[in-house]
Amino acid sequence: MNDTSSRASQEPVLALRQITKEFPGVVALDRVDLTIGRNELLGLVGENGAGKSVLMKIMIGLIQPDGGTIKLHGEQITLKNSSDAIRSGIGMVFQEGSLVPNLSVMENLFLCNEAGFRKLGILSLRSMRAAARELLAQIKLHIDVDLPVAEIGPAERQMVEIARLLWLSKLYGHDNPVLIMDEPTTVLADKERETLFSILQDIRNRASIVLISHRLQEIVENCSRIVVLKDGKNVTEMPASESRLLKIEQLMVGHSFSADRFHEDEQRTRGEKEILRVENLGKAGWFQPLSFTVGEGEIVGLIGLVGSGKEEVCKCLAGLERADSGSISLDGKKLPSGSPSGAVRAGIGHIPIDRRSEGLALMMNVADNVNLLVLNRLKAGGLLSPVRERKNAHHWVSECQIKTPSIATLCANLSGGNQQKTVISKWLSSRVRLLILDHPTRGVDVGAKDEIYKLMRRLAKEGIGMLVMCDTLEEDIGLANRMLIMKDGRLVEEIDSSPKKKPDPKDIISLIV
Amino acid sequence: MTTVSDRLSRLASIREWIPAALAAVGVWLRRTGTVAQILTLVALVGVFAIGTKGKYLSPANIQTILSLAAIPAILAIGLHLTVVLGGIDLSVQGVASLVAIFVGLLMKNQYNSNDVGLWIIPISLGIGGVAGVINGVLNTRLRIPSFIATLGMSWVLYGMAVYINRAVNIQILDERIFKAINGMVFGIPNIAILAVIVAIIMQFIQDRTQFGRYLYAIGGDEAVAQQGGVKVEKIKIIVFTIAGIIYGLGAALLACRLGVATSRMGNGLLFPTITAVAVGGVALTGGLGGAKNAALGALIVTSLNDGMVLMHVNPYAQQAVNGVVLIAAVALTLDRKKLGFVK
Amino acid sequence: MVAVKNGDQQEARKRLTHRRQIPPVYITVALLVVVGLLFYAGNQNFLTPYNLNTIISFSAILLMVALGQMCTILVGGIDLSVGGLVSFISVAFILLLKPIGYLAYPVCIVAGVLAGYINGIILTRIKIPSFIATLGTGGILTSLAYLVSPRPVNLSPDLYGLVDIVNGSLFKVSNVLVVGLAVLILFYVVLRFTSTGRNIFYIGSNIKMSWMSGINIVKTRNIAFMLSGLGAALVGITISSVRFGGDPVVGTAYVLSSIAAVVVGGTALTGGTGGVINTVFGSVFMSMLDNGMTVVGIDQYLQQAILGVMVIIGVTLTFDREKTPIVK
Repeated sequence: MNDTSSRASQEPVLALRQITKEFPGVVALDRVDLTIGRNELLGLVGENGAGKSVLMKIMIGLIQPDGGTIKLHGEQITLKNSSDAIRSGIGMVFQEGSLVPNLSVMENLFLCNEAGFRKLGILSLRSMRAAARELLAQIKLHIDVDLPVAEIGPAERQMVEIARLLWLSKLYGHDNPVLIMDEPTTVLADKERETLFSILQDIRNRASIVLISHRLQEIVENCSRIVVLKDGKNVTEMPASESRLLKIEQLMVGHSFSADRFHEDEQRTRGEKEILRVENLGKAGWFQPLSFTVGEGEIVGLIGLVGSGKEEVCKCLAGLERADSGSISLDGKKLPSGSPSGAVRAGIGHIPIDRRSEGLALMMNVADNVNLLVLNRLKAGGLLSPVRERKNAHHWVSECQIKTPSIATLCANLSGGNQQKTVISKWLSSRVRLLILDHPTRGVDVGAKDEIYKLMRRLAKEGIGMLVMCDTLEEDIGLANRMLIMKDGRLVEEIDSSPKKKPDPKDIISLIV
Repeated sequence: MTTVSDRLSRLASIREWIPAALAAVGVWLRRTGTVAQILTLVALVGVFAIGTKGKYLSPANIQTILSLAAIPAILAIGLHLTVVLGGIDLSVQGVASLVAIFVGLLMKNQYNSNDVGLWIIPISLGIGGVAGVINGVLNTRLRIPSFIATLGMSWVLYGMAVYINRAVNIQILDERIFKAINGMVFGIPNIAILAVIVAIIMQFIQDRTQFGRYLYAIGGDEAVAQQGGVKVEKIKIIVFTIAGIIYGLGAALLACRLGVATSRMGNGLLFPTITAVAVGGVALTGGLGGAKNAALGALIVTSLNDGMVLMHVNPYAQQAVNGVVLIAAVALTLDRKKLGFVK
Repeated sequence: MVAVKNGDQQEARKRLTHRRQIPPVYITVALLVVVGLLFYAGNQNFLTPYNLNTIISFSAILLMVALGQMCTILVGGIDLSVGGLVSFISVAFILLLKPIGYLAYPVCIVAGVLAGYINGIILTRIKIPSFIATLGTGGILTSLAYLVSPRPVNLSPDLYGLVDIVNGSLFKVSNVLVVGLAVLILFYVVLRFTSTGRNIFYIGSNIKMSWMSGINIVKTRNIAFMLSGLGAALVGITISSVRFGGDPVVGTAYVLSSIAAVVVGGTALTGGTGGVINTVFGSVFMSMLDNGMTVVGIDQYLQQAILGVMVIIGVTLTFDREKTPIVK
């Protein structure tokens, strides 16, 4: 029935055409096409924000596209929810895992679909066990199916999820289901990774697999075809045989480079004093011991792909996580480990990536948020002085140009950019020495972005050191005096980025991948 | 400066030792099903047997313990279902009071000519069930946290009970039922046997039906369960309804056993029921524990209180002991990984 | 994501959803006026100076325990032990007046604060959810009350002078009101003008952000529960003074009414929003409701049911659903 020689000309299993999805203020996907053929292992790559996760959520029915069509075996379908997707033979293995931890392996395998094992309303545990064992044997997994999922390792958990999806699609009569694997190898050790890929190759005979990963090496090694997404649009697709790592990376990350967007003429050289000294800081499983410094008035960009360890380094610096080894010193004084209040007292500020849930008290007004860290300084006679509070709030509103009807406005009613500026003022008010900025311009409109860049330049002028992780490589290069490149948990390179001598993004890319 | 902060951080780690130790015990307790409870029971029996010079182990006392533990066990079996789900049900007192009044007024009594006899059982189950449905709807449709929804309902139901009854004691004059409930079979109290039957049925449902799987799935990880296709809202409403029905049963039995129905019958039921659930090993964080845990917990609590009575411990001190036991049991069985910031 | 078309559009949509929230205080005041008029229509005696004085006295007492309850609710917890604490202090206070005289006041106050501290510790260090923890401690306190005095205990007349602090009057205003006002001012100052008070609001509004910003979560929550203990102790002292006797059952009603006063006044169970003024109006409303229902002749037994309904409605209206995607 299936002539393998004409596989290429066969009907694709799943075809998404011209998929468009908009959120308020943002176009997530712009007429994206994706086809998945029979028995193929497709690699999907793109940076954070490229639209991969939105596309996947559309494929499994969690989100509805605004435009475009989805065709399964040539017939158009709509996926209203994830159950529809499963019934159509499309399933996803999530990064966070979607198994119930206190239920056993076999219970998870058959959750909501135990009808086949039911006799007069009672489940036959024996037949469930037998079926579970057989299912797992098909993917070469031999574990005790009565164990609670919480007690098996991450690699086995993924395999259980794969087994569940395979079984579900068989239940609904699909002989070639589509399996989407979302960053499966982030939690796996090397040997487990090899096992996973050998199983995936094995399953190819009965399924099509879409592999999402930021580890381009494994994509190139395992996939038959690679699709690159950037900024919500298709960039290219190529058979793996023709792909070069470097070419892929450029396609993923490259932007047009416009000079003075980041006010490079205002970039200062690093001052004499050293503000932050990190020595042999390491955290098992996250990043290996590394050392670096940040000087007075210096902006240091921390660069790396998702999973390189940069986010965890920043968390340790801010006291949100405890490092296993090494030390952090600010202005020569060692910081206690794992204590946000210790870090704050020493003078480290942290602008979190999610200002709504981690940066602000939304139901409180601007003044209260700005003054949060310095209440002790705004007292008169032992009690908080409303006069001083107002003065401080007004001062910072004008310093950072926060556009708000009044300092009594609730933060929930400000725009994203002004909310971000409020968060920044909160830290500035407390006279930080080192500011960690986690994607400071995410979700902020162009005008406010510019104001934030200018603000950063001013802070550098005043001697504040900054460690920044940006949304785009261009932003990192443009803003930074110096860049620290991280890859796979190691600090691999330090690159100078003085004005007029800015490195080319292409050179950087090869280092981070 | 370094020595001070070093000392402070060492102090901090000692203070963290306590939750860490508790967490380790909790993991062990959650793993071992009912082993810990059985051991505790054996230890308790041993202590009291020695303390009362054997009186504790007399057939009469054992019968007393079994008959006293039966109704709390039944109520605990109802309540623990909501805890497994990840929520809680504080409405048992209100339901009991309301059911008690209906039992009093509908069965043979000195005020009116009603005499529904055994029909009172389905009626009580019905009242409890309706209360449970309302609890479930408040929690799922109106998104009110279960502890406040059920707490509010308890007050509402209690108020209704008192309104209907006006603080009058109603004698229940139905002889047959009184004898049946207080009777014994081969020396084992009837209601104890009933409690065991309820426990077995409920445990069976939890172990061997799809509903049982859904119950534990929601308690284990509600978001994942929903994604996997479990109809969370429907199951939650069903669970609260079943809990209410079981409360109805327990309340009817209690009223008939006492022989007197008052609206105050519900007072003081919540505390021992929650304690029984916690002591039995049903983790407050959800997803773990079954009817056998709840019933065992009730048995342990009753044995403890009976022992204290036999050893002439001040009755008010007994309640204090129960309070400490409740807090300790919850502290030990909580799954701290699920907690994040505790409310 | 691609060039943000109009980054503010997303925020604008969110702005609109928050604007729909009328400050709950206005609703409470409106309710007060409307229900008050209804009661007046039912029975003219409702608005006599004597009756109004009764209402205000009840409000003052309820306010003290409600303010403490509000603090625990603001930090995201609840205090179900206030009933037991009020009962315990009410008997302890009377019994202590004989041996130690005026010292009974500070001793009872300290005892209340200590009880609150223990509640706080159970939450912050042993990490037991406050509704279970305070259920437990409330039970312990109630039993302690019975242990100390199984029956109501009366103050012997020769000691009546000792309770003049509460029973006397200042410029023809009953001292009960003065005490209530003093407590109100205390709580207002603490919540509005101290760092810890402000931190209570920050924690209630966004506990994760508060932790990341270095706010001492443990200390602030402990203090919130200590304030609740303080309020309950003061109520125990006041009630015993007014009645010239203590009673181990006197406190039980205060659990429900304090929570109702807080919630109906507009403070959300999710913490963060609300304040002293809200609770003042809430307390007045609950007292008025209680008094009015009796004056108008609504069956005393129905009243508790009505209170329960009010709590459920109050919570439904003020609960911030955005904060809790999964409601347990």
